[in-house]
Amino acid sequence: MPPTDNQGSFLNRISIRRNQVVYEQEVEDLEQFQKHVADRLSELFHPPEDTNSSDPPETLLSIAWFRKLLDVFLCCEAEFKAVVIMGRDANNFVKSPLDRLIPEHLDRTVKALDICTAIIHGIDLLLHWKKLAQIAVDSLQKKPIGEGDVKRAKKALNTLLSSITIDDKEKSAENHHHSTKSGASSKDHTTIGNLRSLSYSFARSWSASKQIQAMSSNLTAPRGGEPTGLVVPVYLMSSVLVFVMWAMVSAIPCQERTGLGAHLQLSKQFTWAQPMIGLQEKIGEDWKKKEKKGRSGLLDETQRLENLGLSLVEFADGFSFPVEAEKAEEVAAMVAEMAEICGRMDEGLGALQMQVRELFNRIVRSRAETLDVLDHVNKVTTPVPY
Amino acid sequence: MGSPANDVPAEQIILRWDSTASEDARVRMIFEGDRDEIDRYLHAVDQIQRSMDNTTLSEDESKKVNNTIQIAMARLEDEFRNILITNSTPIETESLTDSISSNPLTPRTSSCHSPDNNERNNKRDIEAVARISSASFTERKTYVSCRSMNSIREQDLIPQESVSDLRCIAKRMITAGYFRECVQVYGSVRKSVVDGSFKKLGVEKLSIGDIQRLEWDSLNAKIGRWIRAAKVCIRVLFASEKKLCKQIFKDLGSAAADDACFMETVKGPATQLFNFAEAISISRRSPEKLFKILDLHDSLLDLLSDIDNVFDSKPAESIRVQSTEILSRLAEAARGMLSEFENAVLREPSRVPVPGGTIHPLTRYVMNYISLISDYKITLGGLIVSNPSTGSRNSGDSPTGPEIDFSEHEEQSPLALHLIWIIAILQFNLEGKSKHYKDNSLAYLFIMNNVHYIVQKIKGSQELREMIGDHYLRTLTRIFRQAATNHQRATWIGVLHCLRDQGLHSTGSFSSGVSKSALRERFKSFNAIFDEVHRTQALWLVPDEQLREELRISILEKLIPAYRSFLGRFRNHISDNYIKYTVEDLENAVLQDLFEGYAVSQHSRRRSQ
Repeated sequence: MPPTDNQGSFLNRISIRRNQVVYEQEVEDLEQFQKHVADRLSELFHPPEDTNSSDPPETLLSIAWFRKLLDVFLCCEAEFKAVVIMGRDANNFVKSPLDRLIPEHLDRTVKALDICTAIIHGIDLLLHWKKLAQIAVDSLQKKPIGEGDVKRAKKALNTLLSSITIDDKEKSAENHHHSTKSGASSKDHTTIGNLRSLSYSFARSWSASKQIQAMSSNLTAPRGGEPTGLVVPVYLMSSVLVFVMWAMVSAIPCQERTGLGAHLQLSKQFTWAQPMIGLQEKIGEDWKKKEKKGRSGLLDETQRLENLGLSLVEFADGFSFPVEAEKAEEVAAMVAEMAEICGRMDEGLGALQMQVRELFNRIVRSRAETLDVLDHVNKVTTPVPY
Repeated sequence: MGSPANDVPAEQIILRWDSTASEDARVRMIFEGDRDEIDRYLHAVDQIQRSMDNTTLSEDESKKVNNTIQIAMARLEDEFRNILITNSTPIETESLTDSISSNPLTPRTSSCHSPDNNERNNKRDIEAVARISSASFTERKTYVSCRSMNSIREQDLIPQESVSDLRCIAKRMITAGYFRECVQVYGSVRKSVVDGSFKKLGVEKLSIGDIQRLEWDSLNAKIGRWIRAAKVCIRVLFASEKKLCKQIFKDLGSAAADDACFMETVKGPATQLFNFAEAISISRRSPEKLFKILDLHDSLLDLLSDIDNVFDSKPAESIRVQSTEILSRLAEAARGMLSEFENAVLREPSRVPVPGGTIHPLTRYVMNYISLISDYKITLGGLIVSNPSTGSRNSGDSPTGPEIDFSEHEEQSPLALHLIWIIAILQFNLEGKSKHYKDNSLAYLFIMNNVHYIVQKIKGSQELREMIGDHYLRTLTRIFRQAATNHQRATWIGVLHCLRDQGLHSTGSFSSGVSKSALRERFKSFNAIFDEVHRTQALWLVPDEQLREELRISILEKLIPAYRSFLGRFRNHISDNYIKYTVEDLENAVLQDLFEGYAVSQHSRRRSQ
């Protein structure tokens, strides 16, 4: 730009320089965002060795771990909104490829909202299981254990186990392994009082698994070399969103989860994806194994309740009064473990439910704000046609 | 204390009814039998229960008691379940849903306007406008008092005798420490029943994704149905369940058993109910949804105190919180929709001019919408608290929006300012549309028609007039009068020019001769121009009868004296052949033909002598 006079050229240079600085700052913000996500996820999946040993790392896929995961997600989401959506020249959003990618992301958030609702509902089922386990714990912690206590515990545990292993699709009660043969109650047991069949959040046709599949089917890794630098962050946010939803659905009871294991494919090319890919493989494996036995979900506490439940029912089946000391010790240890799990569920599930609700609210708000930004851009750029 | 048959030991009675031990015990139910048997069993349970507290039991006796109490509790659990199942039916809904309608509870203003059927419609479709104007409106509603659904009305869900039986059982179970089992049986049976009632009331389990995909008509209907159902659910269904819980569980044990049972029963269904309203509050915003959203908002607001009442325990907090969140989202959505509407009016892009310069469908749509807004002014007035953002759209030379100075309207509410703003936008848009007419005169006519229509609509509604205020009304009146004047001038200046004096006298003084050729030209011009005007403007339309008359008379007031005096002065200087019109002819042509919207047939015109 040929300067007209000295002063003009000086101002020009300042403004060019200023634009350049601003541009560089923006690029750096975007890179920082990706780095932050990578760091947080990495910490979550491979917690550093030198943390104070009084705080043991959370077991993967436990309630406490999920609470951390949601925390991480909320942080990422907040940074995404601030850095990628709000701090930008919104004109970019209406040009290719963002004019397609952002609406696709918004569409995923709608599905995520429904999944949150289903998860909140699923947590209620977990609380129900906890109550059943608690009955067994209370009965088997009597000293000495009497026949009545054992029968009571066994009844509760059988109900628990049949609820855990029942298919997401409504199968009749006879097909699972642990049906009770209690007398008068069985005449209406399968119709009224079958809690699992009432735990559908949505119409029969809704499937958590299909929602995840739809969310990830159009999630393709960007090729790079794109001028705004925004495409990768949007892809990142979408990937993390789908991953978090997928992980939650795999762990917590949810309506219709057939084939969930195969429905997430993350691209290996980004650093921040590495921790997720490792976990994705593990979850995929575990899911395939469990799918044959019924789909209780991979939540650590559920798995452990199921195992303990099976052992304790076995004990109950072979029970005769009085219990010999060695056996009693064995049982006491199992019961103590079950009690500990119940305690953790008590403490964690309410908080987890609130967190998921918070996630729901946050996604709603971000959606609305993003739509506002898009609307505003359309308003200003569309000329009044006269 | 004992009945005559009390010589049978308690343990034996209980063992007799062990359903794992005998076929008979499995098939028969104690509480379906005679009252004596029931009493005997309950006494037996009480006895065993008391002996549990006895510390002087031997190990053997302890073991027996431990076993017996479990058998008794298992039995009671089955009995409890059975009583519940056989006596639980979904709530009676016909009598309830008939007595309520989807009419809103906050009073709507009752001014009713019939649609303007007597105005002729444009034959041609104006596509972009049709998109907005085909949206269906909610009908104007008048205040209806719905006595039966305005407050909580509990029903007895289970016959009294069964209730007391249930309470007897619950008492024993809770005393024996079997509270959890009791809650679960109760919750699972009652939940099914509530589910059944939900189906009868038409409460659906739709996801947010489902709702995004629904067509507006279908969604409209579902919202109406939800409003009716929600009233019944909260005021009758849930309230009755709460009452039942109290009847059975209140004051049993230490743990607020009735609250626990109530939540076990209704938490899922209540969440499901509110999820629908929540999904609506999140869904895409489009202006035609505004009034249904307001209806939803109002019903929820109305239900709020009952919701707080019914869901007053600590565990129920999440439900209360969710309903207030939904309410504020609905308010937000309403505000957004109003803003969307204003934007849509400004940007409405159709360029095809309305034939004949008559009322544009956009004008009708907007005025209808504004009238509805004034009907809903109580609700909307509470929600709209900020002034319209007129925004500095003026970049460069051409303004992209109307200029309005709100300082002249300081006394008025934000909602009223929004109405004024909407009319200003409409006008601005119409100005733009008028530029697509090739004929300037038609453009002015178009503006005159439309702004006049706006004024009439405002005057026709007391609420609208109050809200918009006389100051702005005067401004609008000035505008359409000015347009009328401009129209007249544009059309008739040429005509009247033919009737002027100058140029007809050959030497420039009155007493001198008249140029016959010039006069001939004048008459020829006048006839041709008047013909053209007559033919063209007969096809134009001024739908409002009074305005049409006023315009015609105003035209004649200038035309006739000019023509009469012209004729008077010059008809003798020229052959009659050049005089096509008498004064009467002109009057008839104007009074009968102009602005009727019909083509004039040349043959029907009489030629007067």
